Amino acid sequence: MTWPVGYGKRVLAEVDSTLDEAARIAGELSGPEWILALRQTKGRGRRGRDWKDPKGNFAATLVMRPEGAADQVALRSFVASLALFDACVALTGRTDGLALKWPNDVLLNGGKLAGILLESAGQGSGVTYLSIGIGVNLMETPMKEWLEPGAVWPVSLLSETGMQVGPEDFLEALAEAYARYEQQFVTYGFEPIRTAWLARAAKLGEVITARTATSETEGTFETVDAQGNLVLNSAKGRVTIPAADVYF
Amino acid sequence: MTEKTHEADVAFIKALAELLRENDLTELQVKRDYGEDDSLNVRVSRQTVVAAAAPVQTVAAVPAAAAPAAAPAAAPAAAEAAEDPASHPGAVTSPMVGTVYLQPEPGAPSFIKVGDSVSEGDTLLIVEAMKTMNHIPAPKSGTVKRILVEDGAAVEFGSPLVIVE
Repeated sequence: MTWPVGYGKRVLAEVDSTLDEAARIAGELSGPEWILALRQTKGRGRRGRDWKDPKGNFAATLVMRPEGAADQVALRSFVASLALFDACVALTGRTDGLALKWPNDVLLNGGKLAGILLESAGQGSGVTYLSIGIGVNLMETPMKEWLEPGAVWPVSLLSETGMQVGPEDFLEALAEAYARYEQQFVTYGFEPIRTAWLARAAKLGEVITARTATSETEGTFETVDAQGNLVLNSAKGRVTIPAADVYF
Repeated sequence: MTEKTHEADVAFIKALAELLRENDLTELQVKRDYGEDDSLNVRVSRQTVVAAAAPVQTVAAVPAAAAPAAAPAAAPAAAEAAEDPASHPGAVTSPMVGTVYLQPEPGAPSFIKVGDSVSEGDTLLIVEAMKTMNHIPAPKSGTVKRILVEDGAAVEFGSPLVIVE
């Protein structure tokens, strides 16, 4: 495995959150850069949820200054989840049991193995930076009392496969896969990414629930559209959803 | 095709259109086989009105000042709707379809409130799409005059979010 050309890497013994570190260094970037923390003390999930990080798990952020409008930049949610999926395949030598949950969770044997949270800042003319924060349960799963009701049960790579993979080895595989998909996305646009994502999707064609702060929609998971929206066929017809938590 | 089946087809399509409306569907596709090499394939669809995330275009027939006399009950709404916030020079619009968050996280104080002074680049709010939390920066320094969206609201591309002057 070779480190991708053009990508920087910094490995920190400990940090509050790699996403926060990314925001601090975004202004001085000369190119995309991976920040790996061997220990993260204030990991973050969606909407202020804690991301628990027992020792030995993977916590990293890729920070970059991509070109393009904010809605196009956001499609890297799928680019990152594909890379994460492929990194797991490269390291374990297996694809069975691995699946993607909209928009970007990686599931293994039905449990949550990894999560991604992206942050950007910008207007229609473009973003000043994009951070892709990635957490993977390599060794341990967060304790069940930390879970929200209805959340997908967490699993670790170790518990499901018996394999021990170190964070730095995981980063090598992830960075290589990410660079490959990023190149594809920049060259050919979202369509090949969308197709590859759908081929790895969990619950496609089945009934799922999408929950936002203000509403809940149950319907058949039909597809992901060209803008990255979740498309559900519900009792009220076809609904496209740009942001929600998905429950099976 | 005979005149009779033509009439029947038209009636059939009309019935489908009715079905579409009655059940609040956006699209319906049906294939009817009459025999070998004889079938009717119909697809009816309609535009649904998207929940008013975008501002309602209101014709300012009544000058704002005259509105209270004309319709006292609806006066504040009429006065506000008379101008289209999207065309306001201080309007900050959404760069993407998504969900608005006024606070960095639930329970935390809002990024801004009306009357606050903001500097260029300060985060006004977040628009989320696909787990990408996009911070919307103030395009210039100024005062927050209006916040046009509620926490958790769905916004369209170009929806006005905040007015900074």
